[in-house]
Amino acid sequence: MVPREDDAPATIPAGETAGGEPDFAGFDHVVESLAVWSGALPGWAPARRVRGEWEQVAPRLERARRELSRVLVVGVMGGTGTGKSTLVNALAGCDVSDAGDVARPTTITPIIVAARDVDLSWLPVEAMRGRVVRSDSPAVANIVLVDCPDPDTQPLVAGGPGSRPSDANHNRDLLEAVLPACDVLLLVATAQKYRSWVVAREVAAFAPGRPLLFVQTHASRDPDIRADWRRELESQGFSVPRIFRLDGVEAARRTAAGLEPEPGFRELTDAIDAELVGRAARRVRRTGALDLACWFTRQARTQLAALRQPTEEFAAGVQAERARLEGILSQAVGTKLRSSRSAWQRLITDEVVDRWHGGPFAMFLHVIAAIGSFWTRIRPGGGVIGRLLAGQSAVPAGGSGWQAVAELGLSEAEVEQSRSILAGLAARAKVAEPLVGRARLDATRVQQTAATLLERTGQWLGTGIEQLVTERRGRVGGPLLHWIFEALFSALLITVLVRAGWNFFHGHLWEGRPVDGAGFLQEAFVWVILWGLLLRWGVFALVRAGLDRDITALVSRLPAAKLVDPLLADFEEAARDVRSYLDDGDRLGREADALAATLAEPAAGLGRLRGESS
Amino acid sequence: MHSEATPTAAERSFAAWADDVAELCGLVDALRPLGRSLGAPDPNATDWHGALFGKLRPQVSREPVLVAAVCGGTNTGKSLIANTLVGAAISRSLPEAARTRHPVASLPQGLAGRIDLRELFPGFTPMPWTSEEDALAVVDDDRLVWREDASGNQPARLVLLDTPDIDGTLRENWQRAELVRNACDVIVAVLTQQKYNDAAVRDFFAAAAAARKTVIVIFNMVAWPQQRERIAGWLGTFAAETGVEPAAVYAAPHDFEAAEAGRITFHPVPELTPDGASVSPAERLAHGDFDRIKFRAMEGAMRVVVDPHAGLGAWLDAFERSAGQWREAQHLLEQDGRVRVDLPTAPREIVWNEIWKWLEPRRSGFDLAVSRVYRVAGKGVMWAARRAGLARSDEERRDDFSAVELAALKQALGDFVERLDDACRRDPRRAEILGPRLASADRAAWYADLERRHAALPMVSEAYRGFVRQELDRFARENPRLVGLILTGLNVGAVARPAITVGLGLAGAAVVPAAAATAGGLTTLVHHVGDVVVGTAATLAGEGALGLTAAGLKPLIETLFAGWSAERGRILAETLHDVVLGDRLEEIGRLASAAARPEVARARRLLHACAREFA
Repeated sequence: MVPREDDAPATIPAGETAGGEPDFAGFDHVVESLAVWSGALPGWAPARRVRGEWEQVAPRLERARRELSRVLVVGVMGGTGTGKSTLVNALAGCDVSDAGDVARPTTITPIIVAARDVDLSWLPVEAMRGRVVRSDSPAVANIVLVDCPDPDTQPLVAGGPGSRPSDANHNRDLLEAVLPACDVLLLVATAQKYRSWVVAREVAAFAPGRPLLFVQTHASRDPDIRADWRRELESQGFSVPRIFRLDGVEAARRTAAGLEPEPGFRELTDAIDAELVGRAARRVRRTGALDLACWFTRQARTQLAALRQPTEEFAAGVQAERARLEGILSQAVGTKLRSSRSAWQRLITDEVVDRWHGGPFAMFLHVIAAIGSFWTRIRPGGGVIGRLLAGQSAVPAGGSGWQAVAELGLSEAEVEQSRSILAGLAARAKVAEPLVGRARLDATRVQQTAATLLERTGQWLGTGIEQLVTERRGRVGGPLLHWIFEALFSALLITVLVRAGWNFFHGHLWEGRPVDGAGFLQEAFVWVILWGLLLRWGVFALVRAGLDRDITALVSRLPAAKLVDPLLADFEEAARDVRSYLDDGDRLGREADALAATLAEPAAGLGRLRGESS
Repeated sequence: MHSEATPTAAERSFAAWADDVAELCGLVDALRPLGRSLGAPDPNATDWHGALFGKLRPQVSREPVLVAAVCGGTNTGKSLIANTLVGAAISRSLPEAARTRHPVASLPQGLAGRIDLRELFPGFTPMPWTSEEDALAVVDDDRLVWREDASGNQPARLVLLDTPDIDGTLRENWQRAELVRNACDVIVAVLTQQKYNDAAVRDFFAAAAAARKTVIVIFNMVAWPQQRERIAGWLGTFAAETGVEPAAVYAAPHDFEAAEAGRITFHPVPELTPDGASVSPAERLAHGDFDRIKFRAMEGAMRVVVDPHAGLGAWLDAFERSAGQWREAQHLLEQDGRVRVDLPTAPREIVWNEIWKWLEPRRSGFDLAVSRVYRVAGKGVMWAARRAGLARSDEERRDDFSAVELAALKQALGDFVERLDDACRRDPRRAEILGPRLASADRAAWYADLERRHAALPMVSEAYRGFVRQELDRFARENPRLVGLILTGLNVGAVARPAITVGLGLAGAAVVPAAAATAGGLTTLVHHVGDVVVGTAATLAGEGALGLTAAGLKPLIETLFAGWSAERGRILAETLHDVVLGDRLEEIGRLASAAARPEVARARRLLHACAREFA
């Protein structure tokens, strides 16, 4: 029989889902997304584990896409003595594998049975440590059959007491070398072996992405245990549409004698023909691949599920610590701004003085400002806020460290406290270096962080102060207020002058009273100064009114500026990345499941691993 | 041939072990929880434990009954064989595998009234038999279903059991079978041509062979007589793998219907049976040399316990090794777990005030008056300076000190936690005990605790006042001349600048004042980074410098400042101990000293004595 590989086109057009054909464009998309996702966060240990598992799965998915049309490899596995080799011989039509009851285990070398014209260059025969046997039997014309070693005779724990003959038994290791090359598993069991723990363990390890055929052998001797076996398999997470029941010895005898095959055996060969060959093979391979992808996402999500809660707590912790540091910053900045009364005064004075020109009151203000600026020069403005209010740069000339930031209330201890708390929360979410830094920042980081913090705070505060001052400037900006004050100031001046003139012209010249002399002028000068200072105070009171309220308003806008972010940037970024990694994983898992749900069963008789064991 | 109620020689000989066995069991029980914490292997999973607790303890001083159990893999026909041997349907047999969940015991008449089955089969809850379905009950507790032989044919000292499987998907079945295996003297091994060389089957019977239990092999489901020739080969493989030397070998033919009807034919295989006798298995069980078999099994169990490579001694070795690793871990933790707190310089008046208070009653009236004048004048100067913004008030300075001190303590706490984190990263043992604590705790609460303790700590506590008085009294006794100098008007504005180290098990402290604080395993240690400076300008006006030799006063001042600093540092130690580490330090200490427990030495001596007996 000629292999039917060429019947089907090499690729199925994307989106073709009719008749249970998978949507391969969707599958490609899922696989590519999974590849990107699994490697998206290499700094996170759980994600690295997911990546490690992906690297196990990815080659199989890739092969499923590449080798869409080659024949399927069916691995015949089961406990020793269940009649694997006998069944393989029956299918091959001749004795290709030693079978019998002489000694256990019987099969030590995997036997690979293939039709004469099937090219096996793609099969890793070397890695499987197998022996290839060619057969003309129609049952194996379009599949490759592998008689696998048993999983149950190799010691469960290596290095047992003393030296036993079985210490040299490596059948389970051999089996584990053979199964990766298989596309489909043909699980053989007997009444004695269908509940074997070791076999169940091996099947569970290799079933993901590999459809299964279940066969009970020894039909002529053993009772029918298929109903109980089905229950057992279903409890392990398998869907079991069908279990074949046959007698291998009888089947082999009939095949050898050229007789009509035994009914159970014919059902099996019919199923192989219908469900593992040609177009069906492509379907099996695709469904297997999609099952594998779903299995991978399910595994990954199960592993990651426990980290969801810690991650949320970590993210909440970042918010809480940011708020705490912002609170400290707001408090310190507010207090400092409010207590820098003289600096504000100077700033506003400068503004007023700059804007008001002409007139005696303006001249008076300039004179006072000149004297004041002399005072300023001998008292340097300290700290970030002092410097800002004095119109200097926020970042000190001598570099920045914790000292420079201390005035903002953010001492090394406070920042370390937040970072240490976050390090604890991060550890619970398995987040560690290099995703996040250490609680204590090293000297370089301190320099950078402090500089950024100072610069940002300086910029933000500078803008805020500028706004405050501008707004206040508006109050005295109009000429009306200026001229009212000029008028008030001038009024006293004029009164003084008029009084002096009256005294001289009326009192002295007219009425002949003696001249008052400089005494009056000195007195008047003092009053003018006092009046001027009173008016100046009035101007400033006007300008300063509501300053505390405005400072409070300014400080309340501080959190929006995200000034403290550089201090916790690594934690914030890590929390965001881990969260989006988890979200993406969930989304991809749902996509893969949705895609799998659109598919029909691979074939009526093939079982699949669908879920977790119960 | 079985003996009557009078004690036999064999019985008397193993009854002599009773005290040793009881004591060994007590010692193991005492060490068991510690071993679990140490990470030593679980004794329950070992063969010596099964032999000691499952065989020797229940049977060494009890009426010697012979326990025989039918054991084998799933669906090999154990229940049918057990029913056949008992001669009644005690355990239901079903075509489905692994259906027998609980062992079923058939007791000779009257035995249930004489012995406590709970003690004979430790780990099981005995349940009287109601029907052959009892063994199938799907319940979590480990039941042992029992019934007395109604026919009266069962020998007086023979207990026969059917057991669950030893290789199926339900691991609890394996464990139940192992418990029965530990207790029994004779095992009827049910093998088939599919299951004589499975690893799980081999392991089960190898343990029985190691404990020198008598094994009767029945090859079941044999195509008789076609496969007769095969049996020698199968048995050869089985014996070579397990070390079993079967007392007898039988073949039961594959006849499903006959077996269902309770008719199993056991074909003796005399050529494979040492005594060559062709008696049926039931007869062999009834007429065996009970005493010899029993003694052999008890001695075998003892040999398993004293085995130097796999016995209790090996477990004690592992126990001590684990304890040694904990000692190492503790040592490393002591090295890593120490933080230096750079406290700000203490407000000197805090210590000096206390010294002045002590001096007050000892000074002359004139001296006091002068002092008072200076003090008032000094206060005036300080007041003016404060008003001018040139000096800060005491209150403000204390607040400043408090803030800086809290920051230093918080930093030290962060530092300590980071060190522990690092320590855990480097050593899995420390990670095991501290990791969960560090990872699961709410670290914000640690800082809150430290803040709370700091807020609650007065600048000068009563305890410290007492300490100062006591130190000064001592000083006055030892140095009457120096005190004389002080009393004539000495004043020294001296301050010692301390640095505190808080750590685990610090030793060799250079200066440990009497008030040096310890909390749990944490020690606070005070060093001096600055010398005591004698003769600097006095902080408190009026207490001007007078000539005192620095040499005499320096240690005193150091001690006084150290005492004060130690008290400050203690709150960090308390936070570390109470909320950060919890009971972990004590736990590490307990584990590190586990090997020195007297139980270990006693158990070794007992084992040694027992081993000599079997040498």
